[in-house]
Amino acid sequence: MSIQEQLDSVRENFLTEIESFPQNTKEISELRSKYLGRKGKVASLFSLMGKASDVERPLIGKKLNLLKKELSDLFKEKELLGLKNNNSESESSKDFTLPGRMQPTGSLHVLEQTLSEIKDIFKNIGFHIAYGQEVDDEYHNFTALNVPEHHPSRDMQDTFFINPEIVLRSHTSNVQIHLMESLEPPIKFIVPGRVYRNESISYKSYCLFHQVEGIYINKSVSFAELKGCLEYFIKQMFGSDKKMRFRPSFFPFTEPSGEVDIWDDERKQWMEILGCGMVDPNVLDNVGYDSKIWKGYAFGMGVERIAMLKYKIDDIRLFYNGDIRFLEQF
Amino acid sequence: MIVSIEWLKQFVELDENAESISEILSNLGLEAEISSVPQKYPGVKIGYVEKTLKHPNADKLQICDIYDGEKINKVICGAPNIKPGQTIAYATVGTTLPGNFKIKKANIRGIDSFGMVCSERELNLSDEHEGIMVLPENLNIGDDFSSAYGYKFISVDIDITPNRPDAFSYLGVARDLACYKNIPLKKIKVNKKKSNNSKRIKISTESITDCPRYIAGLIDNIKVQSSPEWIIERLKASGLRSINNIVDISNLVMLEMGQPSHIFDYESLSSNEIYIRRAKNEEIFKTLDNNTHKLKKENLLITNAGKPIALAGLMGGANSSININTKSILVECAYFNPITIRKSSKALGLSTDASKRFERGADPNGCEYAFWRILNLIEKYAGGTLESKMFDYYPNIIDKELINLNIIEIENVLGVKIPVSKIESILNGLEIDFKKNKDIYSCTIPTFRPDIVRQIDLIEEIARVFGYNSIPVEESIKGSFRYSNPDPEKNYDLIRTYCSGLGFHQIYSNSLQNKTESCRSGLTPVKMMNPLNQEMGYLRTELITGLIKASIFNLNHGASNFKLFELSNVHEHRGEKLKDIIESKHLACIIYGNNNVNNIHGINFDEDIFVLKGVLSFLFEKKFITNLEYEKDKHPLFNNSYAIIINKNKVGHIGQISVPDSYEIKSNLESLNGFFINLELVKKMLNRKKVYKKINLLPQLQRDLNLVLPQNQSTGKVTNLISKIGRQLIKSVKPIDIFIDKQVLGNDHKSVTFSILFQHKKKTLEDKDVNPIINKIINVAEDEFGAKLRV
Repeated sequence: MSIQEQLDSVRENFLTEIESFPQNTKEISELRSKYLGRKGKVASLFSLMGKASDVERPLIGKKLNLLKKELSDLFKEKELLGLKNNNSESESSKDFTLPGRMQPTGSLHVLEQTLSEIKDIFKNIGFHIAYGQEVDDEYHNFTALNVPEHHPSRDMQDTFFINPEIVLRSHTSNVQIHLMESLEPPIKFIVPGRVYRNESISYKSYCLFHQVEGIYINKSVSFAELKGCLEYFIKQMFGSDKKMRFRPSFFPFTEPSGEVDIWDDERKQWMEILGCGMVDPNVLDNVGYDSKIWKGYAFGMGVERIAMLKYKIDDIRLFYNGDIRFLEQF
Repeated sequence: MIVSIEWLKQFVELDENAESISEILSNLGLEAEISSVPQKYPGVKIGYVEKTLKHPNADKLQICDIYDGEKINKVICGAPNIKPGQTIAYATVGTTLPGNFKIKKANIRGIDSFGMVCSERELNLSDEHEGIMVLPENLNIGDDFSSAYGYKFISVDIDITPNRPDAFSYLGVARDLACYKNIPLKKIKVNKKKSNNSKRIKISTESITDCPRYIAGLIDNIKVQSSPEWIIERLKASGLRSINNIVDISNLVMLEMGQPSHIFDYESLSSNEIYIRRAKNEEIFKTLDNNTHKLKKENLLITNAGKPIALAGLMGGANSSININTKSILVECAYFNPITIRKSSKALGLSTDASKRFERGADPNGCEYAFWRILNLIEKYAGGTLESKMFDYYPNIIDKELINLNIIEIENVLGVKIPVSKIESILNGLEIDFKKNKDIYSCTIPTFRPDIVRQIDLIEEIARVFGYNSIPVEESIKGSFRYSNPDPEKNYDLIRTYCSGLGFHQIYSNSLQNKTESCRSGLTPVKMMNPLNQEMGYLRTELITGLIKASIFNLNHGASNFKLFELSNVHEHRGEKLKDIIESKHLACIIYGNNNVNNIHGINFDEDIFVLKGVLSFLFEKKFITNLEYEKDKHPLFNNSYAIIINKNKVGHIGQISVPDSYEIKSNLESLNGFFINLELVKKMLNRKKVYKKINLLPQLQRDLNLVLPQNQSTGKVTNLISKIGRQLIKSVKPIDIFIDKQVLGNDHKSVTFSILFQHKKKTLEDKDVNPIINKIINVAEDEFGAKLRV
C-alpha cells in the first residue's frame, strides 16, 4: 500500500469511528490515543516518511500535517459536542444521587485540634504561648519546682532518666522555670508540649502524653481569679452547662493546690480534668522572683484526657497508632 | 486507704450516707471513691447450717440443710470449710449478687439446690473465695444480711496525697470531717500503766537523725490466739487480713492513729539491748515474710546483740516474729526520719503500710499515745501484763512549729474575705492552737501535720475546709501584653493545616523506639537509663520510621491508599551534656497507592514522588516563597533519594522509602514514597513577610517551544535556562509534554514542549519583542545541552 493509500484508509476509518463518538471519558481517551496519540495511527504514518524518496518527502510531510490537523479538529469538535450533550444528559449527570467528586480529604489529628481549641481559649484571655524542650535537667523538672529529691511526691510521676541529671520531662512545668528565669514578671503563658511517664501501656495509660500548663504571675493574683480563668476554660471547652467542681489536692509547686472535676453524665461520676493552684512561694524564690511581692496561679491539663472526655474515646492508644479509620473521623 | 464508714463513726458523728461522705472528703482534699461493697444485698439472709451430708454423686460437694429463720432449705455447697453449726450468709433463690450473678433453683448432679452459701468474694467484701464466709454466732438467723452484718464493710477508698501523713489514719480522716462539720472529734482514751516490775530495756542509736524517738516496753504472759470478732471485722473492712491477736492489734492501732508499731517475740532476743543502726553493705537479713534481702547502707536496722531483728519502719525479721508459742513481747513505737525510711524502702524496692506512713512523716509526739493504746488492747485481748516501764528514747524533743497567719494575706491569696469566726473554728478543728493579735494569728502547729510549715500552708488549710467551691469566681482579665511573639510556633500550625488540606492525615506517633529503629537515620539516638522495655529504650531521631509503622498498621487493616504526615520533635545525641541533646522539629509526609481510585467520575493517578514534589512546591514555593532545589543524594531511610535544598542548605530528603524487612506486612507492599524536612533549618524562611505584587494587566503572549533534547538531559535545567534568558519578560515557563519516539527521534533523544508565557511590566509585547528571545533560547540551549528545535 502506498503512503497515500494508507493515509486515506486511516482517514476513512477515523471518520467512521467518530460517527458513534463514545460517551465516557475512558473510551474517548482510548479513541484519541488510537489515532492521535504518540503511538497512534497518525504518528505511525509520520514514521513512514523515512522510507519516502527525497522528492516525495516534503509533500507527504505537508499532507500528513494537514491530515493531523483535520483529524484533531474533527475530534475536538465531536468531543465538545459530546461534552455539551453530557452536560445535560450524560449518565453521571443525570443521576444526582451519585456521590460527589471528593476533594482530597486529610485531617488534623484530634489531639492537634483539641490543643488548638485550648490555645485559642487561653489566647482570648490574654495568655501567650511558649514551647520548651522535652529533655531537661533534673533541676528544672523537679528541684526548682519544689519537688525535693527524697520526697514521696517524686513517686507521683515515674520519670524516664537519660542519666542521673537529665530526664525526659514529666510535665511541661519545666518551661515555667525557664520562662521565669529569663523574663521579668508579670508573665502570663500557656505551655503545650509532649511529656513522658514511665508507665506501662494500656487502654488508659501511655508512656507519653501532651500537656498544657498555664502560669500567671503578677503583683496581686488570687485563687478567685484562678477559678474564673478555669471556669471560663471548662465552659468554652465543654459547654456552658457543664457541671464542675474544684477540690483541694496536692502538688509540690502550688499551694494551695486543687483539682477540677467535670461531671460525666454517662458514667455518673466526677472525672478529673486538670490540676491547679497558687504558685508555691518556694518556686518563685527559686527563680529569683520575690515571693513577698509577686503571686501567681498555675494549672496543668492533659490534652489526651480532654479529648477522651470530649469525644468519648475509650482507649488512649488510638491516638498513637495512626489508624486512618480513627483519624478520618475528626 | 480504705476507710469503713462504720468504724469512722467511732471517731466522729456521721449520719450521711457513704456517697455524701465521699463527696465531703473529696471536697476536703481527701479524694474518695465509694468502694465496691454494695450498700444493700436484697435476698441475702443470715442463715444457719443445720447439717451437711456428702453428695452421693460428687466427692467434693455437700448437701446442706440451711435454716433461714423460717424453714430448712437444701443447698448444695462445694466449700471445703462448711460445717454444721456455722452461721453463714445465705443467698436465697431470686437474689442477684454483685456482678449480676442471679441465684436460681438448680439441679446439681441429680439433686435440687435452693440458693447458695456465699464466700466473701461473692459478696464483694474481699478477694477471699477459698471457702464460705463464716459469720459471728451472735447474729439473729433470718435477718437481712446487709443490715445485720454487711453494713460494717461499706467503705470509701481515699487516695492520700503525699503531704498528708495524718490522713493515713481513721483519726486523721475523722478530724477533717469533724472540722468540716464543726463538731467534736471523739478520741480514744488510753490508760497509762505503771509497772511494779523493774525489767530494763537499753535503747541506743547510731544516729539520732535516723531515729529521733524510740519507745519500747515489755509485756509478759500473753496468749497468742485469734482476735475478737470486732477487730477481725475492722481489719477486713479496711482491706487487711487477720493474722493473730498481737499482730492484729498492731495493725489496728496503725489504722486508728497512723502510728506503725512493731512487736517482737522477746524470748527470741538474746539481750535487752536495742541498737538502731544502718545496715552494712551486703548484710543479709530475712524479713518475716521469709524473703531474704541483701541490704545496702541506706537500710536502717533495729538490732539486738549485734544481730538485725527488724528493717526499721519497713518490716520485722523472721528471727523475732510473733508465733503461736510467743509468751513475752517487746512493743516498739518509734519515729523514724522520713527520708531515711524512703531511701531504705527505695533501696530494696519494698513498700509497706508502715513505710508509707513513715516516709510521709509520722507524728514524733504520737508514739506514746499509740504505745498505751496497744498495751491496753493487748492486756484486754491477749492477757499480758506490763513487765517494764515505758522506755522512751527521745533525746531531742521535736517541738511544734510556730507560724504567723495574717488575715489580710488570706484574703489576698484566696480573693475572698472569710469571717474570723470561721477561720477560728477551722484552726480549732485542726487542733492548731492560736493567739490572736490584731490581724495576726500566732499559730502552733501540731506535729502530726509536718506539711504545715509556712503561712501559705495554713492558708491552704483554711481554704480547703472553707471549701474551694465556696470561693467566688473572679471574672475580670488581668495580665501583661508585652511580648512580641505571642505564639512562636504559629507557622507550624499553618503547615499542619496545609498538609491536612492537601489530603494528608496527621499522625502522632510514639517518640520511644527500639535501638534498631532509632538508629536507622544514621544519627545517634538519646538512650534511656530506665526504659519501660527494650522496644522503647530510645528517642526517635526522625519521623519516617513512625510513618512506616503507621503505614503498615493501615495496610494490615485493609487500607490501600493513604497519605500521612507528622510534624513533631526528634532528638539526637551529640554528647552527654544537656546542651548536646539536640531537639529539632521535623515535618515528614508519606504517600501510598492511588488517588481517588473508587471515584465513579473517573480519572485517577498514582500517589508517586511527583505528588510529594507538588506538596513541597505548594508549601515552600507558593506559601513560604522560597526556592526549592533537588540533588540526587543517598540517605539511609530511602532506597532512592534526593536531597531537598533550600537556600543552598540540605534541609531534608525525598524519595522511595526503604522499609525494614523485620516489619510484618500482610499484603504486598508497593512503593512507599515520602520526604522529611528539618524545619529548624527553614525557620527563618517561614517567617518571611509577604508583600503584595501589583497585578499586571498588560496582555500576555504565549509560545510553545518544542526542543529535542538528549534523552538523559534533565528538563529542570532547561526550564531554568529559559527563565534566566527571558528574565524580565518571561512570566512563567513549564514543560507540558514529553514525546519519545525511537523512529522519529532516535534512541537517545526526547522532545519536550515548553509552554512560555511572556509579559512586560510596562508595555504590550509584540512578536518582534519575543522572537529574539526565542531565538536566543534556541541558540543557548543548543550550545549548552545540544538541543534542537523540533519542527
